[in-house]
Amino acid sequence: MKTLWSNIYDWVDERVELGGLVEYMGKKYVPVNRHSIWYYFGGVSLFLFIIQVVTGILLLLYYKSGEQLAFESIQFIMSKVQFGWLIRSIHSWTANLFILTAMIHMFSVFFAKAYRKPREVTWFTGMLMFFLLLGFGFSGYLLPWNELAFFATKVGTDIAGAVPVVGKPMMVFLRGGEDVTGATLSRFFGFHVAVLPGIFTVLLSIHLLLVQRQGMSELISHEQIPPAERKTMPFFPNFLLRDLLFWLVVLNLLAILAVFFPWELGKKADAFASAPSGIKPEWYFLFMFQTLKYIPGKILFFDGEVLGILLFGLGGLLWLMVPFWDRKSSRGETNRFINYIGIFVVFYILVLTIVGWIL
Amino acid sequence: MKKTARMLAGMMILLFCALGQAFTEDKCLTCHETVGGKAVDLFKQDIHHAKGVSCAGCHGGNAQSDDMEKAMDKKAGFIGVPKGDEISRACAKCHGNAEQMKKLGSALPTTQYANLQMSVHGKLATNGKEHIVQCITCHNAHGVVSVKNPSSPVYPLNIVKTCTKCHADAAFMRTYNPSLPVDQLDKYRTSVHGTRNAKGDFKVAQCASCHGSHNILSAKDTKSSVYPGNIPSTCAHCHSNADYMKEYKIPTDQFDKFSKSVHGVALLQKHDNGAPACNSCHGNHAATPPGIESVSKVCGSCHALNADLFSASPHKKAFDDRKLPECETCHGNHEIIVATNKLLGVTSEAVCSRCHNESLNVKGFAAAKSMRGLIDSLETQEHRAIALIDEAEQKGMEISEAKYKLRDAHQARLESRTMVHSFNEAHFREVAAKGLVVSATVSQEATQALDEYVFRRVGLGLATLVITVLAASLYVFIRRLERRQALGGK
Repeated sequence: MKTLWSNIYDWVDERVELGGLVEYMGKKYVPVNRHSIWYYFGGVSLFLFIIQVVTGILLLLYYKSGEQLAFESIQFIMSKVQFGWLIRSIHSWTANLFILTAMIHMFSVFFAKAYRKPREVTWFTGMLMFFLLLGFGFSGYLLPWNELAFFATKVGTDIAGAVPVVGKPMMVFLRGGEDVTGATLSRFFGFHVAVLPGIFTVLLSIHLLLVQRQGMSELISHEQIPPAERKTMPFFPNFLLRDLLFWLVVLNLLAILAVFFPWELGKKADAFASAPSGIKPEWYFLFMFQTLKYIPGKILFFDGEVLGILLFGLGGLLWLMVPFWDRKSSRGETNRFINYIGIFVVFYILVLTIVGWIL
Repeated sequence: MKKTARMLAGMMILLFCALGQAFTEDKCLTCHETVGGKAVDLFKQDIHHAKGVSCAGCHGGNAQSDDMEKAMDKKAGFIGVPKGDEISRACAKCHGNAEQMKKLGSALPTTQYANLQMSVHGKLATNGKEHIVQCITCHNAHGVVSVKNPSSPVYPLNIVKTCTKCHADAAFMRTYNPSLPVDQLDKYRTSVHGTRNAKGDFKVAQCASCHGSHNILSAKDTKSSVYPGNIPSTCAHCHSNADYMKEYKIPTDQFDKFSKSVHGVALLQKHDNGAPACNSCHGNHAATPPGIESVSKVCGSCHALNADLFSASPHKKAFDDRKLPECETCHGNHEIIVATNKLLGVTSEAVCSRCHNESLNVKGFAAAKSMRGLIDSLETQEHRAIALIDEAEQKGMEISEAKYKLRDAHQARLESRTMVHSFNEAHFREVAAKGLVVSATVSQEATQALDEYVFRRVGLGLATLVITVLAASLYVFIRRLERRQALGGK
């Protein structure tokens, strides 16, 4: 068996010179510390992205965009296409897990201050990918053209429309008109399968390239330890194999979720029907939605909703720009203030999401 | 002495009475009598005159003065001949005032004017200046008599004529409600109520019995006594009163029966105004019980397909020969219950068995038995399909298409129930077969979905096993590799 593997390796090596790459990866080390577990969430996000691409392409073989066809085509996929139900369920569950793992990855990087010099661009591309992920979620949610998605999109784009100055044109651009119609579905489909994946792939390439070039970030506290005394593990094969192990666990989880909790299709969207009660966005938007519900209608001279949206926008911008204003971490100094902000944000998101889910 | 005193007292009383009479005498009437005229003649018969209400009660002025200038002085409130709404307001001065009515010794209600204003007649007339109807439109101006007086225009035997003064005048009615028919009187005279009324029976229903008097509302108004949902209780007002109906020798349980019937439940409980009320079968102005010949036409106006099938069936002639009312024989009249499969067949509760048994009308007996068997199978198969669909759906399987087909099975069952009225086994079998095929297809698809559910579980088990074995092997491999690396490092 071993001879067979060696032969295959030699055959490939002769032609594409694998040796250099293997040697490079062999020299690459990953820091080992009590927070090492968080390093795997980047890899698992990548794995989930790959699943999304594969299942997305498979769904594209049968999915038909359009007001009259979208719902029926998903129904067809779910009931007639061999393993169509599995592909769709995996695609939907993966989308949610992807956002969750990306979120965990983002917070782990934030708390480890791994965004600090020289990894500002890596953070920047990662954050942009996270925003794109939310875009993927929002646009993909409408594609089955069911009742919940229809009204959630209506509410979501209404909120976008409340942004001062650019809100209204942005809403019309997103909807392809004044209302959520077949035109909205067409352009959401376009964003979901062409525009967003295109940009995402470019950002992902830069992100991965930078991770490979710069390696994993060390904790600030570990930087004091002399390099020879720091615990590490080879990226190849040790870290990669552990990554693979985690991927298998996630794959198992996905299979269980897809079979035991198949993603529902619901009722077909009807623009003339009244909105069902308790309309809620997907869980990753829930904390913002809930906040907007609690904000009073008027705060001094400002519209409460507009103020809320602007505050979230500002918060997102500050979060994105953290490598540029957290100078202390960049200098290699401990910055507890960043930790407090992170804890507050995590706590805020958790509480508001739970409250939004229950109420 | 005592006798003389008594005589004096008697003379004093007579004197005071004569003086009182002189002081309260209606001087208006005294003068106008000398002029003469219809109004004066009529007023002398008027109930108001009898109750001591003078001309001034409506026209104003001073009825005590024999000086014309003073009697008809505007400063004394003289208004002359009241016009438009002034007329009803003049009546309402007393008839809307309970205290005043009490003083005049009347127990009449005092809500008439308020009711009239809210009624359909209280709307503005086309001239835009007054209401359509004033009190005198129905009660006359001079010569008003009690409603119990046979000469009153609102006496039960006269009221039809009073209402149709306007309601039979097409040109007049067109200006207010062009869609309202003007043939009510003609129809009424053909009805049981109308014919009896014409013969002098004042107890039977006339216009006001159903529509009300002062408070007449449009039939579209939910508060109207002739609004579809209120009609049964309006009719029942008389028809459920055993004492009142005693002399007519007809049952008084129609309302109770109707309330329990499929029609009554739909109309009175589910508030489905499309469901029939009394007038749907009996007519309204031309109300009469449908005869044996016409009862199927009455039912057939809604149940058209059933009626057509029955008319073309062998039962039509058999029923006609025996003078049996068509629909009513099997379904009843006022207490029509929901038709279930039990009505069909040869069991004791089946209506077929009343005429068909093993020795009498055998062919029909066999057909009824076979049709019942088929309709029971249809129901069983449909219920089985529904149960399988429910189970598959509960297990999260996507079977909306099969569920949609279930409608066809249900439709076929309904069609087959209609087809019963053809009393033709072959036709019935054809429709039933359609339903049985659909139910079988749906059951098959639901069973496939349930099999697929099991397959998914088994598939998941296998896939999980493979992935778990793979992950475990990988874990062992990593452990060995790292142990080897650790040993190599040392």
